[in-house]
Amino acid sequence: MPPRSRAFRIAGALLFAATLAGCATPPPADDPDAVADYKATNDPLEPTNRVIFAINDGVDTVFLKPFALVYRNAVPDPVQRGAHNFLANLGSPVILANDILQGKPHRAGDTVARFAINTTVGLAGVMDVAKDAGFPRHDADFGQTLALWGVGGGPYLFLPVFGPSNPRDGVGMLGDMAFDPLTYLPGTGDIGNAKLAKTGLAALDARASVLYELDKVKSTALDPYATIRSLARQYRQKQIDDAAAAH
Amino acid sequence: MHRRLFLALPAALAVAGRAQAATDTASAAAFVKKLLGDVLGLVDAAPPDLLAKVQALVDAHVDVGGIASFCVGRYWRTATPAQQAQYQELFRKVLMKNVLGRIGEYKGTTFEMGPAAAKDSAISVITQLTRPNNAPNRVEWLVADAPGPKVIDLIAEGTSLRLTQRSDYTSFIGQHGGTLQGLINALIAQAAG
Repeated sequence: MPPRSRAFRIAGALLFAATLAGCATPPPADDPDAVADYKATNDPLEPTNRVIFAINDGVDTVFLKPFALVYRNAVPDPVQRGAHNFLANLGSPVILANDILQGKPHRAGDTVARFAINTTVGLAGVMDVAKDAGFPRHDADFGQTLALWGVGGGPYLFLPVFGPSNPRDGVGMLGDMAFDPLTYLPGTGDIGNAKLAKTGLAALDARASVLYELDKVKSTALDPYATIRSLARQYRQKQIDDAAAAH
Repeated sequence: MHRRLFLALPAALAVAGRAQAATDTASAAAFVKKLLGDVLGLVDAAPPDLLAKVQALVDAHVDVGGIASFCVGRYWRTATPAQQAQYQELFRKVLMKNVLGRIGEYKGTTFEMGPAAAKDSAISVITQLTRPNNAPNRVEWLVADAPGPKVIDLIAEGTSLRLTQRSDYTSFIGQHGGTLQGLINALIAQAAG
């Protein structure tokens, strides 16, 4: 498939250019306020991150956002909710693995009950009936688990495609792939196509869910990059705090 | 995050520190309940002078000036008094513009009060807001004595309004001359646009 390999080559060239953009210059040591800000921001790769942010934004504007807009506006709400629930249910094994690794038996029980109820009564996960039966939804991922084990996030990273992250959460994504049974299904044939469709649907679902908020940030923020960095970090911290407080 | 909070603390103290005796938790919770009830009541009633009435509530019960200086961090101290005054006025205008532009979305919103507790030099009051056809949102209010109870921050689902705004503004200033003037110029455009 030549078009795809060309796309990869272009992406590779852009990434290379981004790497050349290099590191942020630390402020002079005789300006303690500036040094404190620099440390608090903890974004030594800012120039590179900004390039990837701009590329992601461009790709999003052309490829993802238009489809997400159509999905949001043309697909009936109950279908969108059903798709969202279905995807969340498929993610149950990863959540369960992390509930266990985090030592949260109550949450692990919730996850098992949710999967059992929603997969059957909830028609393959399309309806979240478990929520009303007293098993609320929660999230759990390996980056969160590592945080609960005491691993610090490290510097800010803006990843191609995935967006705001850090070294810990990047490793976490790899861990979650390993926990996901779907990873071990073949990537070709009907199953491969189904997996591809699921990935596409997940991208639409995720993008459509933040259409309004992201537009607002981009229209009101003076520096959307810095605003999103702050929002992503605060939200992540809240997820970790919630997990730490759970049982 | 802790480092971030550590840095935020002196500024929060500067905002709240004018009166040492912090508002107690019960009166802070009552203050938030009244303010939230008044605002949502206004939005539902939608009188012809809604915007002016909401603006009056914000002016009376939100420490807009303190939030404004917090949001520019270390650049506040190096600005001239004239720049500080001009910036605070612009901050208020842009804030109002954003608040008033979105307030209609809160029509029909109901709320429940959660726990209140001391947090740093302020009182944290948890509320749960439910907009029609939406999942409930956890909104935390930080109330400080400035003087008299004033809202100094809103934390929606873990994201603080003033911390986010501060990241935006300080980063922008850093890239536009390193003084408050760069931000002032941008805010003039935002307030007019």
